[in-house]
Formats: sequence, C-alpha cells, structure tokens
Amino acid sequence: MLSSAAKILVCLAIAFMAVSMLRRHPHAAVSAGTAPVNKTLTIAQSTDADTLDPADENTIPTLNIARLLFGTLYRVSPTGQLQAYLAESYQYAEDGKSITFQLRPGLMCEDGEPLTARDAAYSFERAADPKLKFTGNATGFVLPALGYLGARVDGKLRFTLLIKKYNPIAIGLISELLISCQAPYEKMTKEQAATHPVASGPYRLAQWTHDDRIVLERNKYFPLPAPKYDRVIFRVIPETSTRAAELIAGDVDIITNVSPDQIDVINNSDTARVESIASVRRIYVGFNQKQKFASTPGGRAIRDPAVRLALQYAVDVPTMCEALLRTPCTRAATMVAPNNDHTGIPPYPYDPDRAERLLDAAGYPRGKDGVRFEITMQAQRDLYGDTNVMLAVGQYLTDIGVKTDVQLLDPSVYVPLIRQHNAGPLYFQGTGGATWSPLYDISDLTSPASGTNYTNWADPAFFDGWKQLDATRDPAAMDAIISHMLHVFHDRGPWLLLFFQPDSYGVSNRIHWQPRPDEAITLSED
Amino acid sequence: MALYMIRRLSQSLLVIFGVSVITFLAMHMGGDPTYLYVSERASNEEIIATRAKLGFDKPLSVQYLRFAEGLVHGDLGTSLTYRTPALPVVLKRFPATLELTFFALTVAVCVGIPLGVLAAINQGKPLDGGIMLMAMFGQSMPNFWLGIMLILSVGLGLRWLPISGRVPLLDPLLDGDLDTMLANLPHALPYLIMPGMTIAFFSLARTSRLVRSSMLEVLSQDYVRTARSKGLTELRVIMHHAFRNAQLPVVTMLGLEFGFLLGGVVVVETIFSWPGVGRLVFNAINHRDIPLVQAAVLTFSIVFVGLNLLVDLLYAQLDPRIRLGS
Repeated sequence: MLSSAAKILVCLAIAFMAVSMLRRHPHAAVSAGTAPVNKTLTIAQSTDADTLDPADENTIPTLNIARLLFGTLYRVSPTGQLQAYLAESYQYAEDGKSITFQLRPGLMCEDGEPLTARDAAYSFERAADPKLKFTGNATGFVLPALGYLGARVDGKLRFTLLIKKYNPIAIGLISELLISCQAPYEKMTKEQAATHPVASGPYRLAQWTHDDRIVLERNKYFPLPAPKYDRVIFRVIPETSTRAAELIAGDVDIITNVSPDQIDVINNSDTARVESIASVRRIYVGFNQKQKFASTPGGRAIRDPAVRLALQYAVDVPTMCEALLRTPCTRAATMVAPNNDHTGIPPYPYDPDRAERLLDAAGYPRGKDGVRFEITMQAQRDLYGDTNVMLAVGQYLTDIGVKTDVQLLDPSVYVPLIRQHNAGPLYFQGTGGATWSPLYDISDLTSPASGTNYTNWADPAFFDGWKQLDATRDPAAMDAIISHMLHVFHDRGPWLLLFFQPDSYGVSNRIHWQPRPDEAITLSED
Repeated sequence: MALYMIRRLSQSLLVIFGVSVITFLAMHMGGDPTYLYVSERASNEEIIATRAKLGFDKPLSVQYLRFAEGLVHGDLGTSLTYRTPALPVVLKRFPATLELTFFALTVAVCVGIPLGVLAAINQGKPLDGGIMLMAMFGQSMPNFWLGIMLILSVGLGLRWLPISGRVPLLDPLLDGDLDTMLANLPHALPYLIMPGMTIAFFSLARTSRLVRSSMLEVLSQDYVRTARSKGLTELRVIMHHAFRNAQLPVVTMLGLEFGFLLGGVVVVETIFSWPGVGRLVFNAINHRDIPLVQAAVLTFSIVFVGLNLLVDLLYAQLDPRIRLGS
C-alpha cells in the first residue's frame, strides 16, 4: 500500500503531466519538438520521396526535393525559358549528333571536391548503366527521348553528349537530368545512393525521417546564387484537410494539392491564402479507337470523326471548373500549353444543340428511349482530384443522348489498363506537358503505336508532320508544321479537350511565393 | 506444455506460409505491375526492359520460388518504390505503429474495463445507461470523422495539441538510447494523444461493453452470492470473485484487439501523418509494391500469430482448469 505522502506525490505528478500536456500548444514553425528556426521554409506534400538517387527519380514530390539537392546543366524558368545553370553554354555539332557543354568554373560537390566535366559525363553514364537497373524518369524517358549514345569528356570543364540525331528539344530534356558527383557515387551501393545523397545543388540532406519529413540545409560549397532559406523542410502530410489545418495553424508555409473544398477555408483564414495556376497538365477524355472496342456501339461510333467533333460541343468546361474545382479555367484549344500555342485556334464552345445536330447528321439519332448509343468511360479514381469532373463529363454526354457509364478504377487497375492501350472506349486522363516547347507537348502522339498514344489514333495528316519535322531545323518551318498538326488534331483528333489542370497551393501569408505552371516547386533566389 | 508449443508453432508456420501465398497471388491478380514503375512517356521497349529489371517477365511460379528462397535467407526482396530492401523499410516504421497501438490499447484497457465494471454493478441505473450510450457512440462513430473533428477542435481551434506528426519514442529505445527516449517523452506524448484517442475510442467502447456483459454473467453466479453472504465487502466481491472470473473473454478479445489495432490504423496514420506501417502498406498496395506488401503482411501475420499464442498461454495462468496440450 502507498503511504499518504506517496499518494500525494503521485497525484501531483499526474496533475503536472496533465497540465503540461494540455497547455496551449506552441506550434513550432519547424519540426516536432524543436524551437522555431529563422529562415526556415516548411513545405507539406502528400507523399514522401521514394528515393533520393539522382539517377532514379520519377515522381513530382521527389523531384521537388531532388532539384534542391542536385544541380542540372540547364533549368527551366517559371515562364518556360531554358536557363544555363551548372553549364554556362552549349553548342550543337554541325550534324546535330552531339552537343558540347561548357561547365561553370568553381562548381563543387557537397564534400568540397570540385565538380567537373567528368562528374557531368558520369551522371549520364550512371543513369544509362543497364547493370544498375534504374527505372526512374532519366532512364525510362529522358535518355531514350534524347537518343543518348554516350558522353565524352573533352576537358576539365568541357564534355560532349553523343546522340542519335539532331534533337530540337534536347536542352529541355537535359534540364530533367540531375548532375551528381562521381567519386562518392562510385563508392556507394544502389541502396546507399537511394538514401544518402551527395549534393551538387544549393542544399544538402540533413535529416530524413521516412514518411514524416526531409530536412535540407544550405550546402556551403554551392557557389551559385541560392534561395534565401537556411533550411527547407519537406513534411509528409497525406490528408488534404490536415495539410490545410497545419497551414492555417502556421506550422507549414506551403502546401500542395489544395482540394476544392479547402480553398474558401484557407482564403477566409487570416494566416494563409490559396495560389492557383493553370498547369501544363492537359486533362482530356480520350477516344480509344482500338479494334477491340469496335464491336460495341460506343466504340464503333467514336471511330467516326464527325461523332468525335460533336462530342466536343457537349461539355461546359468553364462551368465545371468554377463549380467543381472552385477555380476558373479556360478550355484547352489544342494539346499545347497556351504559352507555346501560336495557332490562334479557339476552344470549342459549349453548344449542346449543335452537338445533337451533328450527331443526328452523323447517323446517330436519339432512339425511343432518348439514347443515341451507350458508351463506357473508364477513369482513375481521384486522378488529380478530378473525380467530380469525370462524373460531370459522363452526365454532359448522357444529356445529349450518349448514355455514358463512368467506371472509376483504382490506380493499380487503371494504370496498367491504359498503358496497354486497353482503357476505353472513352477514358479520362491527364498528361504532363512542358512550358519550354510545343514539341514536347505533341510528342504524346509521336506515332500511332507510341506508348502515350492511348487512343490508337492513326490519322496520316497528323503523323506525317513528324517526318517533315525531322527534315528541318528551321524554327519558322517547324512552327508551320506544328501549327498544321494542331489544326488536324483540333478538327478530328482523338481527345475531347477539357482544360489545363488548375493547381492550387496553400501559401502562408508570412511568405511571398508564386506557383509555376509545370508543377515544380522552386524557390526564388532573390 | 512443450508439445503444445511445438504443435502451435508448426500450425503458425503453416498459417504464415498460407498468408504469403495468398498475398503473392492477390498482388498479381490485378495484372502486370510494371506499368506503375515506368514513365508515362516510356516506349514499349523501355517497358519491356523495366519488366525484365523488376523480374516480372518470369512465370509466376518462378517468381514465387524466388521469393520463397529469399524468405528462407531472410531476404524479402527490394522495395520497388524505395529501391531498398523491403523488410528494413517495414521494420523501420513498425515502432511508430506499435507506439500508437500500445497507447490506444492502454487507454482502451484502463478506461474501458473500469467503465464496463461500473456499468455492470449499476445495471439499469442512469450510470449504466450513460456508459452504454457512450459505448454505442464510440462504436458507431467512424474514426476518420473523429480524427478530423479532433484536429479542427483541439488542434486548430484550441491549439492544445499538435495537429500532425510524431516525435519518436520506441525508435531510440530499440537503438538502446534510453536517454533520448526519456528526453523525447514529454514532446512525444502531445503528438500521441489525438491519434491514440481516435483509435482507442472504438476499442474502449467495445471493451466496456464486453466487460459489462461478462461481469453481469458472473455476478449472477452462486459463488458470488456465497461470497456476499460470507460478509465480504462489495469491492472485494467484485474485484476478487467476480472480475477475476470475468477476465477470460476480455483477455481473448484484447489479444485479437491488439492485432486488429495494428492492422487497422491506416486511416488514423493518414489523417495524423503518423509515419507508421499501416500507411506504408496502404501506399504499397496502391503502387503494387509487391515485395513491400509481402514483407509487411508477413511481419503483421507473425505478430498476430505470436499474440494469439501468447493469449493461449495466458489462459492457463488465468484459469487453472485449462490444461494446455491435454
């Protein structure tokens, strides 16, 4: 049995703990259990980095972190200009089959060793090394799209990339490849490289608590202008309402993917605001013309360009954006981001009567039950938060007599389906674009069989444009060819164009920060 | 006893083998996962190359045999998402989930059992009605709703507790660093309260209902009446004669409850950004990260099977009539 004194002590201890736990919680601006630190920026994303290996990155949240850890030869400005970064210049060879880069002098790795042309060449060689079995963006897309053949060191600060043929978007592609330092990476296993990055950029990794936070601190050896923050913390907060609460409470400075229902909540707070921007991600409904769908009424109908044209008039895109995404948006006119679209093609207006007339004329009148034909639209549940948009599109089509069954599928089911070109006959999709070149945007459809042509569209009037593009290096001629291709795409293309995905970020009133249209989070160096 | 243990362990191994086969087949039922691990702009050749790199180009039987061979050597493969060995990825997050589960179970036991006993000895009275009303409320309230309400009211409105995140407690302890663990304790508790209470509320309600019904059954037994007629105090009758005999179903339930809580914290871990293994498995399933899912499921099943074994052994301690192995 406890004595009376012991009982009193126990009671006091319990009371002390209760009071200390229930006192007004001082929301730290930095991390759990630490005091606020000046010049620290905290960014909350929905997922953690999967790997910090510079050659193996492939998700946007990971790249947002990796771009602060690793430099690139060139980089893309918020307005889509390609700017020299670790390199100071480049020169194409006469035949276009090689590009020589001159690096800036005085570059250093995190360990204080000089970063030279040997390191830059090694970054390409390492990403391309089949023995390392990388599956990231560099190996899976950038190097093949570049036509990479090899890298040659020409001097301490000079190296040459060898490519299969002249590639007009090479510098933009190279802006996605992170430069790493040879000496430390040669010593590391692949597993070590995934978790122990050796920085070549403005920050270095200070702490990584998986699924919780990544803390970056200034890389003292980085010689170029760097963002003003001493520390940048990336917190992992998967739930949108929790991210919004943390922002309003002042615990984080920037949050990504603000859901439409949180926009007013954040804007009505005294502490934060929502910054929205039309991204370069094109949201569309694809018409899959694969033979397997031709046996269904809907699959057969959408093979007819007149039907595809009619459906373009059926969807009220601005109203959908306003009502469902709580963000104004302009309907996409072509598959190219507005800043690179010089065609002057206007977006399709919302005109359901015209859509009905066109369908009548195409030979698809309403039946006794009011239905012209039935069709299935497959979509990935919650893709970019657009589930309500998917359902609304289905309803708009049903309203003009195209009875649409919207099937919402989990990513693990939908992604393999669409990558094998088996989603459809209608499918809802978003595809990333670029601010720096219209060619990147139209390269979704490089051939009828290309990986990203999920529609199996094969109109020669469009695809012959690629042969013409291959035959010229004159920018004006290229513009004219692209313009013709976009007109064909607009008139009888395989996409029901919707909008450029509006991205909404929550931003603390403590900071000035503007989002970019290419989904990247970058920090200004002013 | 030893015979019983051997029999139970061999049964457990069979269960774990079955779990591994079912998980493996279930994860492959949705088609080829390669597409989840290639750039959206990858060509067919790049997709084929990636499939070979990930080992999905081999027949299913070969893939399973490879997995089983690795399992024998303690190698559950490399996580496709994290590009590091899968088992350490799971084990690294396990302490976070254990912390949350222990906290929730402690609250459920320390509050649920007394409430159940109180309700039973006040059967039919307003106190009993109040406790049962609360229990019904606790069991019918979805934990994602309760979690968000706590964030909005206690975290954002009152600012009493942090909204999300975690300060590690068990991790330093498992690393043998008791000083750090003790230093972290006052910081860690505020982070534990909201997610812990969100999980505990359901278990607490279930525990109190079970204890109440178990107690009511025991309180009507002859030996309780005999104890009272011997002039024992009501407290002694309840604690020594009634509650002791009412413990058996509660212990059974608590063993299962621990396993249930371990596997069922996904939603709460997501809402409160708790870096535990539930959230990890959820993401791994979405990304069809097969080695990671297998590592996590195997870890969970070993813990679950172990807990059940422990409960069975506890039976013998609690009830001398039970003879294990006979």
